[in-house]
Amino acid sequence: MKKFILFLTVITFSLISFAHGPTPQKVQESITVSISPDKAYAILKDFSEFKKFLKTRSMDDDLKKVKYALLKEDGPFTDFNAYIIVNKGKTENESVIQWTARFYRTYKLNPPIPEGQDDATAKAAVQKIVEKGLADLKKALSN
Amino acid sequence: MCNNKKFLNSVLFIYVSLFFNICVGNGKSINLAYITNQGEDTVSVINLNTLTVQKKINVGKGPLGIAIIKNKAIALVGNVESQSLSIIDLKKNEVYKTVDLKTAPLGIIVSPAGEKIFITSWYENKVLVLSTKDFSIIHKINVGITPSGISFNKKNNFIVVANRDANTIEIYDAKNYKLIKIINVGNHPYGVHTDNNYIFTANVYDDSISIINITNWEQKIIKVGLNPYNIISYKKKAYVTNAQGDSISVIDLNSLQEIKKINVGETPENMSIDIINQRLIIANWGNDSVSIINLKTDELITEIKSGSESRAFGQFIYTN
Repeated sequence: MKKFILFLTVITFSLISFAHGPTPQKVQESITVSISPDKAYAILKDFSEFKKFLKTRSMDDDLKKVKYALLKEDGPFTDFNAYIIVNKGKTENESVIQWTARFYRTYKLNPPIPEGQDDATAKAAVQKIVEKGLADLKKALSN
Repeated sequence: MCNNKKFLNSVLFIYVSLFFNICVGNGKSINLAYITNQGEDTVSVINLNTLTVQKKINVGKGPLGIAIIKNKAIALVGNVESQSLSIIDLKKNEVYKTVDLKTAPLGIIVSPAGEKIFITSWYENKVLVLSTKDFSIIHKINVGITPSGISFNKKNNFIVVANRDANTIEIYDAKNYKLIKIINVGNHPYGVHTDNNYIFTANVYDDSISIINITNWEQKIIKVGLNPYNIISYKKKAYVTNAQGDSISVIDLNSLQEIKKINVGETPENMSIDIINQRLIIANWGNDSVSIINLKTDELITEIKSGSESRAFGQFIYTN
């Protein structure tokens, strides 16, 4: 009986571990580049640096928007979804590229939330991914 | 001359708009949407006749769920992070009371007569039943894991709960809280909705919806856009928010097929029906806005800024 209860407990907790907390977190950053939106979008769609860690979920050529998920979620966050959108800049040869990421912290149960599994930790990790990604993209678009 | 003409046209437009809103529009003077903005701990009050943000109300931390009790002229806002309810007086548009729940409230619904509140309690896998007299908890129903969406069936007097990580819905008698039925649906059901004939769920990980016939419990699964979050029915159609598809799927309830996708703002999550103007109002988490769809033509009318991370999980429209 004790073993059965232990088994049930383990099953319950492992089920819960697939879940995430109820508040999605957002990281949103943008860069401005001196290249037309058409050219920027063409390069973004085929950017090899992103293919190393992102998978494309959908593309909208009219809105110049690409949706991504991670190939592998191994950071201190879960349920990562993101989109990058290429908008017009102030001139024809300027684009504003915005990356928006949505994700959750890893801790799923009732507070108190352990250090390293909280919203702030998740946010800092995603912030790094977004900033590095945009810096790489900016480099590619400036060449 | 050209400028004069433009000016006259503008004046005429404003005049006609005002006339329409005040005299024809819509007879009823109060038609407001209460949009919870989880990223800034506020509720935006949007005038649905003029499509302007009238006020922002500070609430608790991480507001998500919303319900309106019309006959008491109050709104209930569920604060996920501060684990409380903010009660808004709809005559003053001010928070007049905060109720400590000691658990994260997700979905909130009110019984048709307005005497009971049902709240899905995410962390403890329960539905809390509160009295609207004093907002005390009068009962707790044990349900499946991570209860999310909840809906009231007026015709059959039951509540239906979506257990997101159990891939089920559970139906409970709204009077004695007895379990009536458990049904397996698609993967990761978040939003649930019920009307006289059907129960609908949005199955996030399957990119599908389930439509369950209440008379024989037959279920039909239909593919929609990426990560559907919630669903609502109106007349002979149902509308689905595709959170990662940035669109609304329109489902014809005669043929039970998707007949259209309408592009809206980024990461649309939840919807309510503006019955007065025959419009669908959608809260977009991704770009902090509200999209408005004409329900006669199923076309986008406009998008307006609301607040950071708009979610508005529940029936968020107050008319009077």
